[in-house]
Amino acid sequence: MATLYYLILVPMVYLAVAVFVLGTIWRIGRLLAAPSAPPPPPIYPLRKPAWLFAVGDALLLPTVLRHNFRLWLALALFHLGLLALLLGHLELIAEFKILQVVPHGIFLGHGFVGLAVILCLIYFLCRRMVSPTKELSVPEDYLLLVLFLFTALFGAQMDWARTWYDYSSMGVDEYRAYLSSLIALKPNIEGVTSAGHSFMLVGHIFFANLLIMAFPFTKLMHAIFTFAMNKFRRG
Amino acid sequence: MEAQLKNDLVNVFKSKLSSQMLLNLDTCSRCGLCTEACHAYASIPLVKYAPAYRAEVVRRIYKRSFTAQGKFAPVMGEAKEITDAALMELKEAAFSCTGCRRCMVYCPFGIDTQQIMSIAKLLLVAAQAEPETLSMLADMSVSKGENIDAFKEGFLSGIKRLEDQMIQTWRDEAGEDPIPTDVVGADLLYVALAGAHSIIPSARIFNAAGEKWSLSFFEAVNFGAFVGDPTKTKLILDRIVNEAKRLRVKEVCICECGTAVRVAKQLKGAPFKVVSLTEVHARYIRQGRIRLKKLPGSYTYHDPCQIARNGGVYDEPRYILSHLVNDFREMSPDPKYNWCCGGGGGLVAMGDETLDFRMQSAKVKADQVRGSGADVVVTACENCHTQLSDLNKHYGLGKEVRFLSSLVADALLPEPQEARG
Amino acid sequence: MSTMAFDKELDLRNLPCPMPVVKISKGIKEVAVGGVVKAVTTDPGALTDFPAWAKTSGNQILGTDEAGGEVSFFIKRMK
Ligand code: SF4
Ligand code: SF4
Repeated sequence: MATLYYLILVPMVYLAVAVFVLGTIWRIGRLLAAPSAPPPPPIYPLRKPAWLFAVGDALLLPTVLRHNFRLWLALALFHLGLLALLLGHLELIAEFKILQVVPHGIFLGHGFVGLAVILCLIYFLCRRMVSPTKELSVPEDYLLLVLFLFTALFGAQMDWARTWYDYSSMGVDEYRAYLSSLIALKPNIEGVTSAGHSFMLVGHIFFANLLIMAFPFTKLMHAIFTFAMNKFRRG
Repeated sequence: MEAQLKNDLVNVFKSKLSSQMLLNLDTCSRCGLCTEACHAYASIPLVKYAPAYRAEVVRRIYKRSFTAQGKFAPVMGEAKEITDAALMELKEAAFSCTGCRRCMVYCPFGIDTQQIMSIAKLLLVAAQAEPETLSMLADMSVSKGENIDAFKEGFLSGIKRLEDQMIQTWRDEAGEDPIPTDVVGADLLYVALAGAHSIIPSARIFNAAGEKWSLSFFEAVNFGAFVGDPTKTKLILDRIVNEAKRLRVKEVCICECGTAVRVAKQLKGAPFKVVSLTEVHARYIRQGRIRLKKLPGSYTYHDPCQIARNGGVYDEPRYILSHLVNDFREMSPDPKYNWCCGGGGGLVAMGDETLDFRMQSAKVKADQVRGSGADVVVTACENCHTQLSDLNKHYGLGKEVRFLSSLVADALLPEPQEARG
Repeated sequence: MSTMAFDKELDLRNLPCPMPVVKISKGIKEVAVGGVVKAVTTDPGALTDFPAWAKTSGNQILGTDEAGGEVSFFIKRMK
């Protein structure tokens, strides 16, 4: 068990980060290296400045808002939740002054952000089980949702577990110690493997690793490509 | 399918992979938002008509041959080799898409399904499985460009006959040379279609406006674009470009043909401007070069996708109509969302072969036309006109379908005498 | 020339683009090789389209006949 924990918490994390970084660079490099063809026309009417509207389209999803409010709500909640969680994890590495402009305890949201994300994921999964989105979906779509779901379940539950069951032996300080040791390339997993809910941390990290590795090879790249795509549409 | 052909097709596919195409292929999240946007799906709710599904038909092949995921874990994205069955699927996907790009307005990323379908079309051309009618038409157009001297005389005699007609009907305004051709130094080269209906009304309006114009020898429509063959598309367009350069015109005016307007407007770096007939007519009214009387009845306007959503000409037809009629009714609250007539992408050009599908897949359009409550449906595209007329008949809409240019010609008021000369 | 014999007559008057050519290319297949189709058109464009089509499709225009604003083509199916 200890070996398995170690493999997931140390080498696999490094591997995931490497795959993510190299894979993403490769994907973007491939785009830049591709020949450029004369672009098809944008969608009229045009609005100026086009880049600003394109960024607006990418971040605010106005077309989804217009045509499917429920989906828009779920997408907004989900993506904002992810953003908040990302920032929250940064704070698990170190304290960032700038993030404390709005004073808050760590971890941000006490797991409720995670819960919101989980509900959105369940909604997305259900959507994919109903026609016509069902027929459009491919295994990748379900796999990514399931990976997200497990990552979020283990992650959010971990924070609750800590408070509800008094697992005080592992908290923010231990997470920080672990993550900063990883960054310093002197991995130390002692603090995070001995607690009663360690298995949840390991599970969380395992699924997160898979997700991070999948990023460059799946539609998750839309997070980056959406800006370029929307710029083309705006002209 | 033979290995050689398969290999060739993969290479053809590769030739289409520009950076923009890669983005189109790599970004879709299969959210399905575009599904309802397609008139074909909205009228016939089968998933194969959903834009993202059409795109997946192409994407599956892309994944298998060009992505790491498709090579190592094909099941993840249902990646597939090119097979004869896949070609059939490609054909169905590509030639049930009119290229209206309404789906692109819905998509959170702006994925261009028409561009993805252009891969399917090119693969079909390479496999010699494209619709015969369309390649026949494209070959004809190309041959005309290559042999113009051989065919010129016939064309001129046809024009002469039209001129005789014009002089008989509109003795006063026709002037001496009602349909000028081959005028070096003309200001405007008008590129029409084969039919008299695309030449006579426009000629009347050019003459009334005192335009220094010349009629092109070539038809505007680009069958190469319909069939999805970029080489032929270019050859067909080049015929017009060369003629415009030879005559040193300032402007090339494309007749009421959506595809032709779109293809010509995409020209970069030409020594002339490309405008649609509608834009020119709006300009004449704005400059006071033609005067119009009001026509009776209620009117609605169908925005041709390639001229409006994909060409930006929204205001001009409405401006013209505001001078033509008192009772104008918008068809769609936001013209950007106007339903495609269902006839684009070469479907109308394939004639009766596609009639059934065209009628069924454009049910939403027929409903929209009916809902406008207007007596007359006006449009500015030959294909839209044909399709709307077919819909009119099929669904018993009881409308009159008119070209905008022919309405303008009907409403022309004689010029004040002093402005003449 | 109006007396030229033909096996099938096609009425291609006042058709929208590109129906004249589409219909002639379909119509020609309805006569046997060696048979002649008479196509009546009012389109000035047809006067260039038909010869160009005949050339690319390998059929032969035997002659034309003009009367009252209409042109008739006599086209022989060659293959
Ligand atoms: S371009 Fe038009 S016809 Fe083609 S998939 Fe999109 S909405 Fe449908
Ligand atoms: S709306 Fe865009 S991202 Fe969503 S399924 Fe359609 S093409 Fe894909």
